[in-house]
Amino acid sequence: MDFLTHWLAFTPVFAMPLIAAALGLIVNERAGLLNLGAEGIMLCGALVGVVAFLEFGGNPTLGFIFAVLAGAFLGFCFGFFVVVLRTNQVLTGITFVFLGIGLTGLIGVPWVNKAFSAIDPIYIPWLTDIPIIGRFFFGQDLVIYVTIILAILVWRFLYHTRMGLRLRAVGENPQAADAGGINVEGYRLLAATIGGAFIGLAGGYLSLVVAKIFVEEMTQGRGWIAVALVIFSRWSPWRAVAGGLLFGGIEALIPRLKAAGFQLPQYFLEMTPYAVTLAVLIYAAMRLRAGQEAPKALGTPYVREDRK
Amino acid sequence: MKILRLAMAVAMVSVLGFAFQQAAKAEPFKLNGDPKPAWLYFDVKSDGGWTQAIHESKLKIDEHFGWDIPYVEKIPEVVSSIMPAAERYIKRGHNIILGSAYGHSDAFKELADKYPDVAFVIPGGHTNSGNLQGIYGRSYEPHYLCGMAAGALTKTNKIGFVAANPFGVVNWTVNGYLIGARKTNPDVTLHVVYTGAWNDPVKERAAAQALVEQGVDVIGQHVDTPTPQIVAQENGIYGTGHHRDMREFAPKATQCSHLWVWDRYLIPKIEEMVSGTWNPGAQPYGDFIHIHDGGNDIACCGDAVPADVVNQINSEKAALAGGKHVFEGPLYDQEGTLRVKEGEVPSDGDLWGMDWLLQGVVGTTKTL
Repeated sequence: MDFLTHWLAFTPVFAMPLIAAALGLIVNERAGLLNLGAEGIMLCGALVGVVAFLEFGGNPTLGFIFAVLAGAFLGFCFGFFVVVLRTNQVLTGITFVFLGIGLTGLIGVPWVNKAFSAIDPIYIPWLTDIPIIGRFFFGQDLVIYVTIILAILVWRFLYHTRMGLRLRAVGENPQAADAGGINVEGYRLLAATIGGAFIGLAGGYLSLVVAKIFVEEMTQGRGWIAVALVIFSRWSPWRAVAGGLLFGGIEALIPRLKAAGFQLPQYFLEMTPYAVTLAVLIYAAMRLRAGQEAPKALGTPYVREDRK
Repeated sequence: MKILRLAMAVAMVSVLGFAFQQAAKAEPFKLNGDPKPAWLYFDVKSDGGWTQAIHESKLKIDEHFGWDIPYVEKIPEVVSSIMPAAERYIKRGHNIILGSAYGHSDAFKELADKYPDVAFVIPGGHTNSGNLQGIYGRSYEPHYLCGMAAGALTKTNKIGFVAANPFGVVNWTVNGYLIGARKTNPDVTLHVVYTGAWNDPVKERAAAQALVEQGVDVIGQHVDTPTPQIVAQENGIYGTGHHRDMREFAPKATQCSHLWVWDRYLIPKIEEMVSGTWNPGAQPYGDFIHIHDGGNDIACCGDAVPADVVNQINSEKAALAGGKHVFEGPLYDQEGTLRVKEGEVPSDGDLWGMDWLLQGVVGTTKTL
């Protein structure tokens, strides 16, 4: 019972960075941009969040704002390279991973291993105390509730606004979108910037809330998991939230099983999130339904009047 | 890094086999001219753990000899990074080259053969020859002593331990920790969580948090970041650290820490190199040093540890210096199998290959 309560209570904490980064990547990829640099942008968000928090008098809001701005800036840079300069998206993304690792390692030194406590979970009398599900629903920190709202906004934006429709059109068929009078480059730059902001938020949350510390290369592949999560979710914000909770649930479960003394093999447990991803990918590929494919123009640069 | 340290555990075991075959070439080494060391750091000097401890040792050696030893940071465990850095120092006239990682071993061996007049030393390394010495500390000894503090501190008789990967060098700290804890509190059980990573604060926090939920009230660690200590402090319980004195991060929680103090080992060795009595070839598989040889030590103890326990820890430390072995039999593993017979101690090869946990440890070294 306690086990279940604790496990559920910590699941959203581990899920949030994955969800936020996946939402950002969905916005990117819906506009046809394949941003593999999430790992690097997330690291920069993690560092900038901690720096802003520690240097500006311990204000977590400022920490998050700067993490988001850092992510947006890097996302815009990525967009500038691939949209305006038309560099290869895959290579540029991977470059951003190493740029993020190197940059945070270089300038992050003074802020490494500084312990702090940025924000605490909320407590609502009665509601938080409900057995098992109380802390899961009503005992999280504010950023998690904000992320849920953001997921709703991303969904509303993509599917229920004219701008979202145009953005998706750019990702499906930029030639047609351009012919229809949509500014393809502008939309892609916008998507890259918004996407980067989400990834920066994910990084800031990882250092400010999940780990409560910054160390070099602390993302440890979580940016890549977010990339996989987007495919897992078939480019839908809702399935990204569900998938993130599943992954977060596994990450929260593993140490609890070990601490409770279950004799489970270490590397098998660590493998489970990836095994689950593979299984879902295979399942999704076998039962592909309309509207669940990758955006058609994903990863391809758009050059006006270029022969197709 | 993860893979490299995995390789470390595997290779250590195989190297020991070879090592015994190589007859000791007992030809002492003498430096030509004044000692002029240079150091290759595996990571940045401010990594909070292993490399920072190396750097702090360097500063103490500097102070002792009145030097300012040059160093270069972030020399990863690849030959193409190690060779140019080391050779540049050698060309500038440096005649003692120090490394700082297990993965520096093979490149250093090559260098040692190429430059027979230069002395090479690698904390964490395993190769050696007439002018090359790999060294590692018996880190189970300090963890045994800190375990004694943990045993005295626990009220729930449940201690937690956040460990990295289930390798020999980690498993021996877990087992040593429990033996120490049982010395001061025979009813203790030790809950261990292997995170599967050396340096992942997210996993370390998750592990420490899960241990707190299990009701542990002391958390030991063999991972790189101070996160488990910080979680202990947040929850108002105690902890013991690894690599360095972790009171820096969690002054209220951390009551004892395992420390690396390479200067205490290296200063006499450098003096031996100068006088011509340094003989690294005599130990074919590197120097596997005890707490009294330097290399590792403890920072003991915080205010919460009772004075009589501190005395007990100090007398055990003296006993270790007097030749006491932490893993003296009889020792039974989790399945109840007798692993070390009464009155016997495990060989060094058995220690490096330790893949079992003691009875009283909750957790598993099973990997697949």
